[in-house]
Amino acid sequence: MFLLDAAITGRRQVARDMFVVSMAAPEIAASVRAGQFVNLAWSGGPLLRRPFSVYRADGDWIEIVLKAVGQGTAQLLAMTPGDRVSCLGPLGHGFEIGAGPKSVVLVSGGLGVAPMPLAAREARSLGMRVTWVHGARSAGDLCSEFDGDEVVWATDDGSNGFRGTAVAAAPGADLVLACGPNRMLSAVAERWPEALVAVETYMGCGTGVCLGCAVPLERGGFDRACKEGPVYRAADIEWSSLPSHLSYAVTA
Amino acid sequence: MSVDMSVAVGGMRLRGPVLAASGTFGYGTEVPLLERRALGGMVSKGIFMRARDGTPPPRIAETPGGMLNAIGLQGPGVEALVRDFAPQWAEWDFPVFVNINGETAAEYGELAARLDAVPGVGGLEINISCPNVEQGGLYFGNDPRAAASVTEAVRRRTKLPVWVKLTPMVSDIGVIARAVEAAGADALCAINTFVGMSMDLNAYKPRLSFRTGGLSGPAIRPLAVHLAHQAARAVRIPVIGIGGITRAEDALEFLVAGCSAVQVGTATFVNPRAIAEVHDGIAAFLAAKGMGSLSDLPRYLPRD
Repeated sequence: MFLLDAAITGRRQVARDMFVVSMAAPEIAASVRAGQFVNLAWSGGPLLRRPFSVYRADGDWIEIVLKAVGQGTAQLLAMTPGDRVSCLGPLGHGFEIGAGPKSVVLVSGGLGVAPMPLAAREARSLGMRVTWVHGARSAGDLCSEFDGDEVVWATDDGSNGFRGTAVAAAPGADLVLACGPNRMLSAVAERWPEALVAVETYMGCGTGVCLGCAVPLERGGFDRACKEGPVYRAADIEWSSLPSHLSYAVTA
Repeated sequence: MSVDMSVAVGGMRLRGPVLAASGTFGYGTEVPLLERRALGGMVSKGIFMRARDGTPPPRIAETPGGMLNAIGLQGPGVEALVRDFAPQWAEWDFPVFVNINGETAAEYGELAARLDAVPGVGGLEINISCPNVEQGGLYFGNDPRAAASVTEAVRRRTKLPVWVKLTPMVSDIGVIARAVEAAGADALCAINTFVGMSMDLNAYKPRLSFRTGGLSGPAIRPLAVHLAHQAARAVRIPVIGIGGITRAEDALEFLVAGCSAVQVGTATFVNPRAIAEVHDGIAAFLAAKGMGSLSDLPRYLPRD
Protein backbone atom coordinates (compact mmCIF):
# COMPACT_ATOMS: atom_id res chain seq x y z
CA MET A 1 0.00 0.00 0.00
CA PHE A 2 1.31 3.40 -0.95
CA LEU A 3 0.38 6.95 0.01
CA LEU A 4 1.31 9.15 -2.91
CA ASP A 5 1.05 12.79 -3.79
CA ALA A 6 -0.25 12.24 -7.31
CA ALA A 7 -0.42 14.83 -10.07
CA ILE A 8 -3.50 14.81 -12.28
CA THR A 9 -2.35 14.23 -15.83
CA GLY A 10 -5.50 14.32 -17.91
CA ARG A 11 -9.22 13.89 -18.33
CA ARG A 12 -11.44 12.63 -21.13
CA GLN A 13 -15.15 12.08 -21.51
CA VAL A 14 -16.33 8.52 -22.12
CA ALA A 15 -20.12 8.90 -21.79
CA ARG A 16 -22.73 11.48 -20.88
CA ASP A 17 -21.47 13.06 -17.60
CA MET A 18 -18.86 10.30 -17.26
CA PHE A 19 -15.12 10.99 -17.33
CA VAL A 20 -11.82 9.19 -17.04
CA VAL A 21 -9.23 11.02 -14.95
CA SER A 22 -5.60 9.99 -15.04
CA MET A 23 -2.91 10.63 -12.46
CA ALA A 24 0.76 9.85 -11.94
CA ALA A 25 1.04 7.05 -9.39
CA PRO A 26 3.97 4.83 -10.41
CA GLU A 27 4.07 2.46 -7.43
CA ILE A 28 0.32 1.86 -7.65
CA ALA A 29 0.37 1.46 -11.43
CA ALA A 30 3.03 -1.21 -11.07
CA SER A 31 1.17 -3.29 -8.50
CA VAL A 32 -2.60 -2.76 -8.92
CA ARG A 33 -4.81 -5.75 -9.80
CA ALA A 34 -8.22 -5.65 -11.45
CA GLY A 35 -10.92 -4.79 -8.91
CA GLN A 36 -8.61 -3.01 -6.50
CA PHE A 37 -9.19 0.62 -5.71
CA VAL A 38 -7.52 3.83 -4.61
CA ASN A 39 -8.81 6.16 -1.90
CA LEU A 40 -8.41 9.83 -2.77
CA ALA A 41 -8.25 13.02 -0.75
CA TRP A 42 -7.42 16.52 -1.87
CA SER A 43 -6.98 19.98 -0.48
CA GLY A 44 -10.35 21.64 0.06
CA GLY A 45 -12.12 18.33 -0.47
CA PRO A 46 -14.50 16.45 1.81
CA LEU A 47 -13.33 15.08 5.17
CA LEU A 48 -13.24 11.42 4.18
CA ARG A 49 -11.35 9.99 1.25
CA ARG A 50 -13.30 8.86 -1.79
CA PRO A 51 -12.77 5.34 -3.15
CA PHE A 52 -12.42 4.67 -6.89
CA SER A 53 -11.76 1.42 -8.72
CA VAL A 54 -8.66 1.65 -10.87
CA TYR A 55 -9.87 1.74 -14.48
CA ARG A 56 -6.62 1.36 -16.35
CA ALA A 57 -2.97 1.47 -15.34
CA ASP A 58 0.25 1.38 -17.29
CA GLY A 59 3.76 2.72 -16.96
CA ASP A 60 3.62 5.30 -14.19
CA TRP A 61 -0.04 6.32 -14.41
CA ILE A 62 -3.42 5.07 -13.28
CA GLU A 63 -6.92 6.09 -14.34
CA ILE A 64 -10.24 6.26 -12.53
CA VAL A 65 -13.70 6.74 -13.97
CA LEU A 66 -16.31 8.94 -12.35
CA LYS A 67 -19.42 11.07 -12.64
CA ALA A 68 -20.14 14.24 -10.71
CA VAL A 69 -22.57 12.83 -8.14
CA GLY A 70 -21.75 15.20 -5.29
CA GLN A 71 -19.45 18.04 -4.29
CA GLY A 72 -16.37 15.83 -4.01
CA THR A 73 -16.60 14.32 -7.47
CA ALA A 74 -17.41 17.76 -8.90
CA GLN A 75 -14.17 19.07 -7.36
CA LEU A 76 -12.19 16.17 -8.82
CA LEU A 77 -13.62 16.82 -12.26
CA ALA A 78 -12.74 20.50 -12.01
CA MET A 79 -9.05 19.70 -11.53
CA THR A 80 -6.57 20.44 -14.27
CA PRO A 81 -3.28 18.73 -15.11
CA GLY A 82 -0.72 19.42 -12.40
CA ASP A 83 -3.29 19.63 -9.60
CA ARG A 84 -2.51 17.11 -6.89
CA VAL A 85 -4.45 14.50 -5.00
CA SER A 86 -3.40 12.30 -2.10
CA CYS A 87 -3.70 8.78 -3.46
CA LEU A 88 -3.77 5.78 -1.10
CA GLY A 89 -3.64 2.35 -2.67
CA PRO A 90 -3.89 -0.13 -4.12
CA LEU A 91 -6.55 -1.26 -1.65
CA GLY A 92 -8.78 -4.30 -1.26
CA HIS A 93 -8.79 -7.70 -2.87
CA GLY A 94 -9.43 -7.63 -6.59
CA PHE A 95 -10.73 -10.27 -8.98
CA GLU A 96 -8.89 -13.56 -8.51
CA ILE A 97 -8.49 -14.52 -12.15
CA GLY A 98 -6.67 -17.83 -12.10
CA ALA A 99 -5.54 -19.96 -14.99
CA GLY A 100 -8.03 -22.60 -16.13
CA PRO A 101 -11.13 -20.93 -17.58
CA LYS A 102 -11.04 -20.58 -21.36
CA SER A 103 -13.57 -17.76 -21.54
CA VAL A 104 -14.64 -14.87 -19.37
CA VAL A 105 -17.61 -12.55 -19.59
CA LEU A 106 -17.22 -9.10 -18.05
CA VAL A 107 -20.63 -7.69 -17.14
CA SER A 108 -20.84 -4.04 -16.16
CA GLY A 109 -23.54 -1.48 -15.60
CA GLY A 110 -22.82 2.26 -15.78
CA LEU A 111 -19.82 3.22 -13.65
CA GLY A 112 -19.42 -0.48 -12.92
CA VAL A 113 -17.29 -0.50 -16.05
CA ALA A 114 -14.48 0.77 -13.80
CA PRO A 115 -12.58 -2.46 -13.01
CA MET A 116 -13.19 -4.10 -16.41
CA PRO A 117 -10.30 -2.88 -18.56
CA LEU A 118 -7.78 -4.27 -16.07
CA ALA A 119 -9.84 -7.48 -15.79
CA ALA A 120 -9.83 -7.86 -19.57
CA ARG A 121 -6.08 -7.39 -19.66
CA GLU A 122 -5.44 -9.96 -16.93
CA ALA A 123 -7.86 -12.49 -18.46
CA ARG A 124 -6.32 -12.15 -21.89
CA SER A 125 -2.82 -12.60 -20.49
CA LEU A 126 -4.07 -15.95 -19.17
CA GLY A 127 -5.27 -16.90 -22.64
CA MET A 128 -9.00 -16.37 -22.10
CA ARG A 129 -11.48 -15.26 -24.70
CA VAL A 130 -13.03 -12.03 -23.36
CA THR A 131 -16.66 -11.04 -23.84
CA TRP A 132 -17.36 -7.44 -22.86
CA VAL A 133 -20.98 -6.76 -21.83
CA HIS A 134 -21.85 -3.22 -20.84
CA GLY A 135 -25.23 -1.74 -20.03
CA ALA A 136 -26.64 1.66 -19.20
CA ARG A 137 -29.89 3.57 -19.29
CA SER A 138 -29.53 4.86 -22.81
CA ALA A 139 -27.04 4.89 -25.72
CA GLY A 140 -25.43 8.15 -24.58
CA ASP A 141 -24.80 6.71 -21.12
CA LEU A 142 -22.74 3.77 -22.38
CA CYS A 143 -19.01 4.00 -21.77
CA SER A 144 -17.53 4.39 -25.24
CA GLU A 145 -14.34 2.49 -24.36
CA PHE A 146 -14.30 -1.30 -24.38
CA ASP A 147 -11.92 -4.22 -24.57
CA GLY A 148 -13.22 -7.63 -25.67
CA ASP A 149 -13.04 -10.26 -28.37
CA GLU A 150 -16.81 -9.87 -28.47
CA VAL A 151 -18.74 -6.80 -27.32
CA VAL A 152 -22.39 -6.75 -26.25
CA TRP A 153 -24.25 -3.51 -25.53
CA ALA A 154 -27.45 -3.26 -23.50
CA THR A 155 -29.67 -0.26 -22.85
CA ASP A 156 -32.83 0.04 -20.80
CA ASP A 157 -34.52 1.92 -23.65
CA GLY A 158 -33.12 -0.21 -26.48
CA SER A 159 -31.37 2.80 -28.04
CA ASN A 160 -28.24 0.71 -28.53
CA GLY A 161 -27.93 -3.09 -28.59
CA PHE A 162 -30.02 -5.33 -26.40
CA ARG A 163 -33.12 -3.75 -24.85
CA GLY A 164 -32.84 -4.64 -21.18
CA THR A 165 -30.15 -5.21 -18.62
CA ALA A 166 -26.54 -6.18 -19.15
CA VAL A 167 -27.16 -9.27 -17.02
CA ALA A 168 -29.97 -10.41 -19.33
CA ALA A 169 -27.89 -9.64 -22.42
CA ALA A 170 -24.80 -11.53 -21.31
CA PRO A 171 -23.90 -14.93 -22.74
CA GLY A 172 -22.53 -17.59 -20.45
CA ALA A 173 -18.81 -18.26 -19.98
CA ASP A 174 -16.47 -20.31 -17.83
CA LEU A 175 -15.92 -17.29 -15.62
CA VAL A 176 -18.23 -14.32 -14.97
CA LEU A 177 -16.98 -11.06 -13.47
CA ALA A 178 -19.46 -8.27 -12.74
CA CYS A 179 -19.58 -4.75 -11.38
CA GLY A 180 -22.41 -2.26 -11.20
CA PRO A 181 -25.19 -1.13 -8.89
CA ASN A 182 -25.81 -3.64 -6.10
CA ARG A 183 -29.28 -4.42 -7.42
CA MET A 184 -27.70 -5.45 -10.71
CA LEU A 185 -25.19 -7.61 -8.85
CA SER A 186 -27.94 -9.38 -6.94
CA ALA A 187 -29.40 -10.33 -10.35
CA VAL A 188 -25.95 -11.63 -11.29
CA ALA A 189 -25.99 -13.73 -8.12
CA GLU A 190 -29.32 -15.28 -9.14
CA ARG A 191 -28.07 -16.23 -12.57
CA TRP A 192 -24.44 -17.09 -11.76
CA PRO A 193 -23.90 -17.84 -8.06
CA GLU A 194 -20.22 -18.48 -8.79
CA ALA A 195 -19.67 -15.12 -10.47
CA LEU A 196 -17.13 -12.74 -8.93
CA VAL A 197 -18.72 -9.37 -8.24
CA ALA A 198 -17.23 -6.07 -7.08
CA VAL A 199 -19.68 -4.41 -4.66
CA GLU A 200 -20.24 -0.79 -3.82
CA THR A 201 -20.55 0.45 -0.23
CA TYR A 202 -20.08 3.62 1.71
CA MET A 203 -16.51 3.63 2.90
CA GLY A 204 -14.66 5.37 5.71
CA CYS A 205 -10.96 4.60 5.87
CA GLY A 206 -10.50 2.12 3.02
CA THR A 207 -7.84 0.32 5.05
CA GLY A 208 -9.84 -1.99 7.30
CA VAL A 209 -9.90 -0.12 10.60
CA CYS A 210 -13.22 1.76 10.69
CA LEU A 211 -15.54 -1.17 9.86
CA GLY A 212 -17.81 1.27 8.05
CA CYS A 213 -18.01 -0.63 4.76
CA ALA A 214 -19.77 -3.69 6.16
CA VAL A 215 -20.85 -6.32 3.64
CA PRO A 216 -23.49 -8.76 4.96
CA LEU A 217 -22.51 -12.36 4.35
CA GLU A 218 -24.76 -15.31 3.56
CA ARG A 219 -23.09 -17.32 6.34
CA GLY A 220 -23.91 -14.53 8.82
CA GLY A 221 -21.97 -11.54 10.07
CA PHE A 222 -20.19 -8.86 8.09
CA ASP A 223 -16.86 -8.26 6.62
CA ARG A 224 -15.17 -5.29 5.03
CA ALA A 225 -15.55 -4.24 1.42
CA CYS A 226 -12.21 -2.46 1.69
CA LYS A 227 -10.24 -5.42 2.97
CA GLU A 228 -11.79 -8.83 2.26
CA GLY A 229 -13.66 -7.21 -0.65
CA PRO A 230 -14.66 -5.38 -2.73
CA VAL A 231 -14.75 -8.55 -4.85
CA TYR A 232 -16.88 -11.44 -3.61
CA ARG A 233 -18.27 -14.71 -4.88
CA ALA A 234 -21.82 -13.62 -5.70
CA ALA A 235 -23.46 -16.38 -3.65
CA ASP A 236 -21.54 -15.38 -0.51
CA ILE A 237 -23.34 -12.06 -0.08
CA GLU A 238 -26.61 -11.69 1.77
CA TRP A 239 -28.05 -9.37 -0.87
CA SER A 240 -31.23 -8.34 0.92
CA SER A 241 -29.18 -6.61 3.65
CA LEU A 242 -26.80 -4.80 1.30
CA PRO A 243 -28.18 -1.37 0.39
CA SER A 244 -29.27 -1.63 -3.24
CA HIS A 245 -28.63 2.01 -3.95
CA LEU A 246 -26.19 4.52 -2.50
CA SER A 247 -27.21 8.14 -2.41
CA TYR A 248 -23.96 9.99 -2.60
CA ALA A 249 -24.76 13.58 -1.91
CA VAL A 250 -23.25 14.70 1.37
CA THR A 251 -25.37 16.97 3.51
CA ALA A 252 -23.50 20.23 3.46
CA MET B 1 16.59 20.62 20.22
CA SER B 2 15.16 17.35 21.42
CA VAL B 3 11.98 17.69 23.42
CA ASP B 4 10.94 15.36 26.23
CA MET B 5 7.47 14.28 25.10
CA SER B 6 6.85 11.73 27.85
CA VAL B 7 3.82 12.12 30.10
CA ALA B 8 2.61 10.57 33.34
CA VAL B 9 -0.96 9.34 33.03
CA GLY B 10 -2.58 7.58 35.94
CA GLY B 11 0.48 5.90 37.39
CA MET B 12 1.94 5.12 33.96
CA ARG B 13 4.60 6.86 31.99
CA LEU B 14 3.86 7.15 28.27
CA ARG B 15 6.68 8.02 25.91
CA GLY B 16 4.46 10.48 24.08
CA PRO B 17 1.12 12.21 24.57
CA VAL B 18 -0.61 10.96 21.41
CA LEU B 19 -2.60 7.73 21.46
CA ALA B 20 -4.73 5.99 18.88
CA ALA B 21 -8.41 6.15 19.81
CA SER B 22 -10.59 3.10 20.12
CA GLY B 23 -12.41 2.03 16.99
CA THR B 24 -10.07 3.88 14.66
CA PHE B 25 -7.07 1.58 14.79
CA GLY B 26 -8.58 -1.90 14.90
CA TYR B 27 -6.34 -4.05 17.09
CA GLY B 28 -3.27 -2.28 15.76
CA THR B 29 -2.31 -5.23 13.60
CA GLU B 30 -3.57 -4.04 10.23
CA VAL B 31 -2.83 -0.35 10.38
CA PRO B 32 -1.26 0.85 7.14
CA LEU B 33 1.98 2.77 7.20
CA LEU B 34 2.14 2.46 10.98
CA GLU B 35 4.75 4.70 12.56
CA ARG B 36 5.09 3.16 16.00
CA ARG B 37 7.70 5.63 17.18
CA ALA B 38 5.05 8.35 17.38
CA LEU B 39 2.55 6.34 19.40
CA GLY B 40 2.30 6.98 23.11
CA GLY B 41 -0.14 4.11 23.21
CA MET B 42 -3.13 2.60 21.52
CA VAL B 43 -6.67 1.76 22.55
CA SER B 44 -8.15 -1.33 20.93
CA LYS B 45 -11.47 -1.55 19.18
CA GLY B 46 -14.18 -2.00 21.84
CA ILE B 47 -14.58 -5.58 22.98
CA PHE B 48 -17.43 -7.46 24.62
CA MET B 49 -17.20 -10.79 26.37
CA ARG B 50 -18.74 -12.49 23.32
CA ALA B 51 -18.37 -11.96 19.59
CA ARG B 52 -20.73 -9.42 18.04
CA ASP B 53 -21.72 -8.98 14.41
CA GLY B 54 -22.33 -5.24 14.65
CA THR B 55 -25.05 -3.28 12.87
CA PRO B 56 -26.21 -3.75 9.26
CA PRO B 57 -25.11 -1.22 6.62
CA PRO B 58 -25.19 1.66 6.08
CA ARG B 59 -22.96 2.20 9.08
CA ILE B 60 -21.35 5.54 8.27
CA ALA B 61 -22.46 8.86 6.84
CA GLU B 62 -20.28 11.88 6.21
CA THR B 63 -21.52 15.23 7.47
CA PRO B 64 -19.91 18.66 7.28
CA GLY B 65 -16.48 18.33 8.92
CA GLY B 66 -17.40 15.03 10.47
CA MET B 67 -18.88 11.61 10.19
CA LEU B 68 -21.61 9.62 11.85
CA ASN B 69 -20.89 6.01 12.64
CA ALA B 70 -22.93 3.17 14.03
CA ILE B 71 -20.69 0.12 13.85
CA GLY B 72 -22.28 -1.51 16.89
CA LEU B 73 -19.06 -2.75 18.47
CA GLN B 74 -18.47 -5.49 15.94
CA GLY B 75 -15.78 -7.71 17.33
CA PRO B 76 -14.52 -11.23 17.95
CA GLY B 77 -15.08 -11.36 21.72
CA VAL B 78 -12.52 -11.33 24.48
CA GLU B 79 -11.19 -14.88 24.06
CA ALA B 80 -10.23 -14.27 20.43
CA LEU B 81 -8.66 -10.95 21.41
CA VAL B 82 -6.54 -12.64 24.07
CA ARG B 83 -5.58 -15.45 21.69
CA ASP B 84 -5.00 -13.54 18.44
CA PHE B 85 -3.92 -10.03 19.35
CA ALA B 86 -2.50 -9.79 22.88
CA PRO B 87 0.57 -11.93 22.04
CA GLN B 88 1.45 -9.44 19.29
CA TRP B 89 0.91 -6.49 21.63
CA ALA B 90 3.30 -8.03 24.14
CA GLU B 91 6.08 -7.50 21.60
CA TRP B 92 5.33 -3.83 21.02
CA ASP B 93 7.14 -0.87 22.52
CA PHE B 94 4.01 1.03 23.55
CA PRO B 95 1.13 0.04 25.82
CA VAL B 96 -2.15 -1.25 24.42
CA PHE B 97 -5.33 -0.46 26.30
CA VAL B 98 -8.35 -2.65 25.74
CA ASN B 99 -11.66 -0.81 25.41
CA ILE B 100 -14.13 -2.94 27.41
CA ASN B 101 -17.91 -3.09 27.13
CA GLY B 102 -20.71 -4.89 28.90
CA GLU B 103 -24.46 -4.95 29.30
CA THR B 104 -24.19 -5.06 33.09
CA ALA B 105 -21.66 -3.81 35.63
CA ALA B 106 -20.88 -7.46 36.41
CA GLU B 107 -19.97 -8.11 32.77
CA TYR B 108 -17.46 -5.25 32.82
CA GLY B 109 -16.01 -6.79 35.97
CA GLU B 110 -15.73 -10.21 34.31
CA LEU B 111 -13.92 -8.70 31.34
CA ALA B 112 -11.51 -6.89 33.66
CA ALA B 113 -10.76 -10.13 35.49
CA ARG B 114 -10.22 -12.00 32.21
CA LEU B 115 -7.77 -9.38 30.92
CA ASP B 116 -6.01 -8.70 34.21
CA ALA B 117 -2.90 -10.84 33.86
CA VAL B 118 -2.80 -11.17 30.07
CA PRO B 119 0.64 -10.27 28.67
CA GLY B 120 0.28 -7.50 26.12
CA VAL B 121 -2.65 -5.80 27.83
CA GLY B 122 -1.32 -2.58 29.30
CA GLY B 123 -4.53 -1.20 30.70
CA LEU B 124 -8.29 -0.97 30.35
CA GLU B 125 -10.46 1.78 28.96
CA ILE B 126 -14.00 1.38 30.26
CA ASN B 127 -16.46 2.34 27.56
CA ILE B 128 -19.54 3.74 29.24
CA SER B 129 -20.26 5.97 26.30
CA CYS B 130 -20.87 3.95 23.14
CA PRO B 131 -24.02 5.33 21.52
CA ASN B 132 -24.40 2.38 19.15
CA VAL B 133 -25.44 -0.59 21.28
CA GLU B 134 -28.94 -1.40 22.47
CA GLN B 135 -27.86 -2.44 25.96
CA GLY B 136 -25.19 -0.91 28.18
CA GLY B 137 -22.88 1.67 26.69
CA LEU B 138 -24.32 5.12 26.95
CA TYR B 139 -26.78 4.06 29.65
CA PHE B 140 -23.95 3.73 32.16
CA GLY B 141 -22.31 6.94 31.05
CA ASN B 142 -25.03 9.42 31.81
CA ASP B 143 -25.89 8.34 35.31
CA PRO B 144 -23.23 9.02 37.96
CA ARG B 145 -24.25 6.06 40.13
CA ALA B 146 -24.23 3.63 37.19
CA ALA B 147 -20.91 5.03 35.97
CA ALA B 148 -19.41 4.59 39.43
CA SER B 149 -20.76 1.06 39.81
CA VAL B 150 -19.17 -0.03 36.52
CA THR B 151 -15.88 1.61 37.47
CA GLU B 152 -15.92 -0.11 40.87
CA ALA B 153 -16.74 -3.46 39.31
CA VAL B 154 -13.69 -3.15 37.08
CA ARG B 155 -11.40 -1.66 39.74
CA ARG B 156 -12.08 -4.57 42.10
CA ARG B 157 -11.07 -7.15 39.48
CA THR B 158 -7.84 -5.73 38.07
CA LYS B 159 -4.49 -4.23 38.94
CA LEU B 160 -4.20 -2.72 35.46
CA PRO B 161 -4.54 1.02 34.95
CA VAL B 162 -8.24 1.82 34.55
CA TRP B 163 -9.31 4.66 32.30
CA VAL B 164 -12.96 5.60 31.85
CA LYS B 165 -14.19 7.01 28.54
CA LEU B 166 -16.94 9.55 29.09
CA THR B 167 -19.86 10.52 26.93
CA PRO B 168 -20.55 14.13 25.99
CA MET B 169 -24.30 13.43 26.14
CA VAL B 170 -24.71 14.67 29.72
CA SER B 171 -25.83 17.90 31.32
CA ASP B 172 -22.73 18.17 33.56
CA ILE B 173 -19.69 16.08 32.71
CA GLY B 174 -18.05 17.15 35.98
CA VAL B 175 -20.60 15.15 37.98
CA ILE B 176 -19.81 11.94 36.06
CA ALA B 177 -16.08 12.67 36.17
CA ARG B 178 -16.08 13.04 39.95
CA ALA B 179 -18.19 9.90 40.38
CA VAL B 180 -15.80 7.68 38.43
CA GLU B 181 -12.77 9.30 40.06
CA ALA B 182 -14.20 8.43 43.46
CA ALA B 183 -14.88 4.89 42.22
CA GLY B 184 -11.20 4.32 41.52
CA ALA B 185 -10.49 5.39 37.94
CA ASP B 186 -6.85 6.19 37.19
CA ALA B 187 -7.67 8.55 34.34
CA LEU B 188 -10.57 9.85 32.27
CA CYS B 189 -10.93 9.94 28.50
CA ALA B 190 -13.06 12.81 27.30
CA ILE B 191 -14.95 12.47 25.09
CA ASN B 192 -16.68 9.77 23.06
CA THR B 193 -18.85 10.72 20.07
CA PHE B 194 -21.97 12.87 20.15
CA VAL B 195 -25.22 11.20 19.18
CA GLY B 196 -26.37 12.54 15.84
CA MET B 197 -28.70 11.81 12.96
CA SER B 198 -28.84 12.57 9.26
CA MET B 199 -31.66 11.97 6.81
CA ASP B 200 -31.57 10.43 3.35
CA LEU B 201 -33.71 12.76 1.24
CA ASN B 202 -34.27 10.13 -1.43
CA ALA B 203 -35.46 7.41 0.90
CA TYR B 204 -37.08 9.71 3.52
CA LYS B 205 -35.43 7.88 6.37
CA PRO B 206 -32.19 8.04 8.38
CA ARG B 207 -28.98 7.54 6.42
CA LEU B 208 -27.80 5.00 9.01
CA SER B 209 -29.55 1.68 9.54
CA PHE B 210 -29.20 2.18 13.31
CA ARG B 211 -31.04 5.52 12.80
CA THR B 212 -28.55 7.42 14.96
CA GLY B 213 -24.77 7.38 15.05
CA GLY B 214 -21.82 8.84 16.88
CA LEU B 215 -20.55 12.11 15.42
CA SER B 216 -16.77 12.50 15.27
CA GLY B 217 -14.28 14.58 13.35
CA PRO B 218 -13.25 18.26 13.28
CA ALA B 219 -16.89 19.34 13.59
CA ILE B 220 -16.94 18.36 17.28
CA ARG B 221 -13.54 19.68 18.33
CA PRO B 222 -14.54 22.91 20.12
CA LEU B 223 -17.30 21.03 21.95
CA ALA B 224 -14.80 18.36 22.93
CA VAL B 225 -12.18 20.85 24.13
CA HIS B 226 -14.80 22.44 26.36
CA LEU B 227 -15.99 19.14 27.81
CA ALA B 228 -12.45 17.80 28.34
CA HIS B 229 -11.61 21.07 30.09
CA GLN B 230 -14.70 20.81 32.30
CA ALA B 231 -13.76 17.24 33.20
CA ALA B 232 -10.18 18.25 33.96
CA ARG B 233 -11.36 21.03 36.24
CA ALA B 234 -13.59 18.63 38.14
CA VAL B 235 -11.03 15.97 39.05
CA ARG B 236 -7.42 15.45 40.18
CA ILE B 237 -6.77 12.41 38.00
CA PRO B 238 -5.42 12.95 34.46
CA VAL B 239 -7.75 13.57 31.55
CA ILE B 240 -7.01 12.33 28.05
CA GLY B 241 -8.58 14.65 25.50
CA ILE B 242 -10.42 13.25 22.46
CA GLY B 243 -12.51 14.84 19.76
CA GLY B 244 -11.75 15.99 16.25
CA ILE B 245 -7.97 16.22 16.48
CA THR B 246 -6.38 16.25 13.03
CA ARG B 247 -3.37 18.52 13.55
CA ALA B 248 -0.82 19.23 16.28
CA GLU B 249 -2.52 22.57 17.03
CA ASP B 250 -5.76 20.72 17.79
CA ALA B 251 -3.98 18.40 20.23
CA LEU B 252 -2.24 21.37 21.84
CA GLU B 253 -5.62 22.97 22.49
CA PHE B 254 -6.65 19.95 24.56
CA LEU B 255 -3.30 19.94 26.38
CA VAL B 256 -3.53 23.64 27.21
CA ALA B 257 -7.13 23.06 28.31
CA GLY B 258 -5.82 20.78 31.03
CA CYS B 259 -5.46 17.37 29.38
CA SER B 260 -2.40 15.21 30.03
CA ALA B 261 -2.56 13.37 26.72
CA VAL B 262 -4.80 13.04 23.68
CA GLN B 263 -6.28 10.41 21.43
CA VAL B 264 -6.49 10.77 17.67
CA GLY B 265 -9.31 8.94 15.94
CA THR B 266 -11.20 9.92 12.81
CA ALA B 267 -8.14 11.71 11.41
CA THR B 268 -6.43 8.33 11.03
CA PHE B 269 -9.17 7.27 8.60
CA VAL B 270 -8.24 10.13 6.32
CA ASN B 271 -4.52 10.31 6.89
CA PRO B 272 -2.70 7.15 7.95
CA ARG B 273 0.14 9.37 9.11
CA ALA B 274 -2.05 11.63 11.28
CA ILE B 275 -0.75 10.38 14.63
CA ALA B 276 2.89 10.81 13.62
CA GLU B 277 2.18 14.28 12.23
CA VAL B 278 0.38 15.33 15.43
CA HIS B 279 3.20 13.97 17.59
CA ASP B 280 5.94 15.60 15.56
CA GLY B 281 3.98 18.86 15.35
CA ILE B 282 3.63 19.06 19.12
CA ALA B 283 7.38 18.53 19.53
CA ALA B 284 8.10 21.20 16.92
CA PHE B 285 5.73 23.63 18.63
CA LEU B 286 7.37 23.11 22.02
CA ALA B 287 10.84 23.48 20.52
CA ALA B 288 9.84 26.67 18.73
CA LYS B 289 8.55 28.06 22.02
CA GLY B 290 11.85 27.16 23.71
CA MET B 291 10.36 24.43 25.90
CA GLY B 292 12.45 21.34 26.55
CA SER B 293 9.62 19.22 27.82
CA LEU B 294 5.89 18.77 27.31
CA SER B 295 5.52 19.36 31.04
CA ASP B 296 6.69 22.96 30.42
CA LEU B 297 3.56 23.69 28.40
CA PRO B 298 1.41 26.20 30.28
CA ARG B 299 -2.05 24.90 31.14
CA TYR B 300 -5.22 26.88 31.55
CA LEU B 301 -6.89 25.06 34.41
CA PRO B 302 -8.46 27.27 37.05
CA ARG B 303 -9.84 25.06 39.80
CA ASP B 304 -13.55 25.09 40.51
